[in-house]
Amino acid sequence: MIITKNISKHFGSFQALSDVSFEINKGEIVGFLGTNGAGKTTLMRILTSFLPATSGTVLIDGDDVAKHSLITRQKIGYLPETPPLYLNMTVKDYLKFAAEIKGIPAKNRRRQFDSVMAECQLEHMANKTIATLSKGYKQRVGIAQAIIHEPKLLILDEPTSGLDPIQNLQIRNLIKDLKDQRTVIISTHILSEIEHVAQRVLMIKSGEIIIDESLESLMKLHSYDDSSDQRRDMSLEDIFILLHSEKKPNKENEAHSDNIDSRLVKHHG
Amino acid sequence: MDKVYFIAKKELMTYFKSPVAYITLVLSISVFNIFFFIIIDQNREASLRDVFHVMEFMFLFLVPIMTMRLFSEEKASGTMEFLMTAPVSNMAIVLGKYLGVLAFFSILISLTLIYFGILEFFGSPDRLTLVSGYLGVWLEGAFFIAVGMMTSSWTRNQIVAAMMSYVILFLLYFLINFTKYFNGEAVTIIQYMSTLTHLEHFIVGVITLSDLVYYLSGIFICIVFTRLSIENRMFQ
Repeated sequence: MIITKNISKHFGSFQALSDVSFEINKGEIVGFLGTNGAGKTTLMRILTSFLPATSGTVLIDGDDVAKHSLITRQKIGYLPETPPLYLNMTVKDYLKFAAEIKGIPAKNRRRQFDSVMAECQLEHMANKTIATLSKGYKQRVGIAQAIIHEPKLLILDEPTSGLDPIQNLQIRNLIKDLKDQRTVIISTHILSEIEHVAQRVLMIKSGEIIIDESLESLMKLHSYDDSSDQRRDMSLEDIFILLHSEKKPNKENEAHSDNIDSRLVKHHG
Repeated sequence: MDKVYFIAKKELMTYFKSPVAYITLVLSISVFNIFFFIIIDQNREASLRDVFHVMEFMFLFLVPIMTMRLFSEEKASGTMEFLMTAPVSNMAIVLGKYLGVLAFFSILISLTLIYFGILEFFGSPDRLTLVSGYLGVWLEGAFFIAVGMMTSSWTRNQIVAAMMSYVILFLLYFLINFTKYFNGEAVTIIQYMSTLTHLEHFIVGVITLSDLVYYLSGIFICIVFTRLSIENRMFQ
């Protein structure tokens, strides 16, 4: 579905991404993990052809996003970090406009509109001006515009940031419902979210991919401690903190961290 | 082509969804009406010549207010990302937005067509001159809109966008007043660059190819520059 080869992106002298390569297969749900500023949003913007990569290629379903961007854009549904909403429009007008510019044939527009309104539970909000909606509803409208043209690939940039736990759960359930039909990429630094929905994790640190693992094997790999030859329960959060820790770990942790690194190298090798 | 229409429709709708459209329409029509009355009352002539001049001067101030939000607002609110990741070409986005504002501007101009009726009723104006005058004012507005759209694509700040289009439009409008400080070729160039020279011809009922080329090429150049600026993500 997605093949990226040696993607690099510079903003002036700042290198946002360096030599990023990965493949994502059809039907996978992949979580992009990383701290703020790690390069998740830049990578997503390159996948959606909003930003051109400085070097490297991205193929979506065999089409190069730089050369055939109109074809690839048709296949992608994208929710940027800030939902891209026209605040003075009503939910209905906005989604109709989204349906129009995403090229849904006139005869299917009504059906698609009704189906995303139901899927995102927005029916009773249809005639409300977007500016008056709560953050959770705005996020749902953002997701609705991303899925209205039934894209094969859904890219969601921090879809639950800033939401309360209930809204968080609702959005997560919505994503879970969507995943049966399409390939989904979610970026987040809320790790519990990834644990709940993703099958595979791509961890990005300072513009480089440091982990590309299925969630299951990542958890398994990290839960085994060689030094004591015992199983340790580590959450994704522990793994994340460990890999992003800039402080020199104490002796015990150092041994553990080295262990993980050597295991990762072994695994990739 | 469909998508150009959808974007234009959305732009036009955006104007009428906010009080801006109504305030702009009511204010400008009121000012035009006052001047129409004063001019006709003083000149006692079945002609709109001076009314067209007032309109041109007013559009100099009005158009940047109409166009400043076109791209800057989208950039500031993040909806640019929505437009530019949708399966729509950059040219369709630019043309759609341009035609949306042009439609709004045409509504504004069409509301003044009543002057035509009033002159017809009370006098016997030269119809062809009136028609060519209206065409001139419309073309000039269309050119101003293209300039305003271009500056709006350069920044995410609406005020900066408006200021930049004021600078360009004032230069084009007032340039002719500085011809005495130049000589030779420079004077001819300044005269050709000035919007006043070209509109004057339309107002007196003369439509020349050179004037049409001036406005149409101006519009074309601004549209191309706008496309280039959004393509190169000048706002990033």
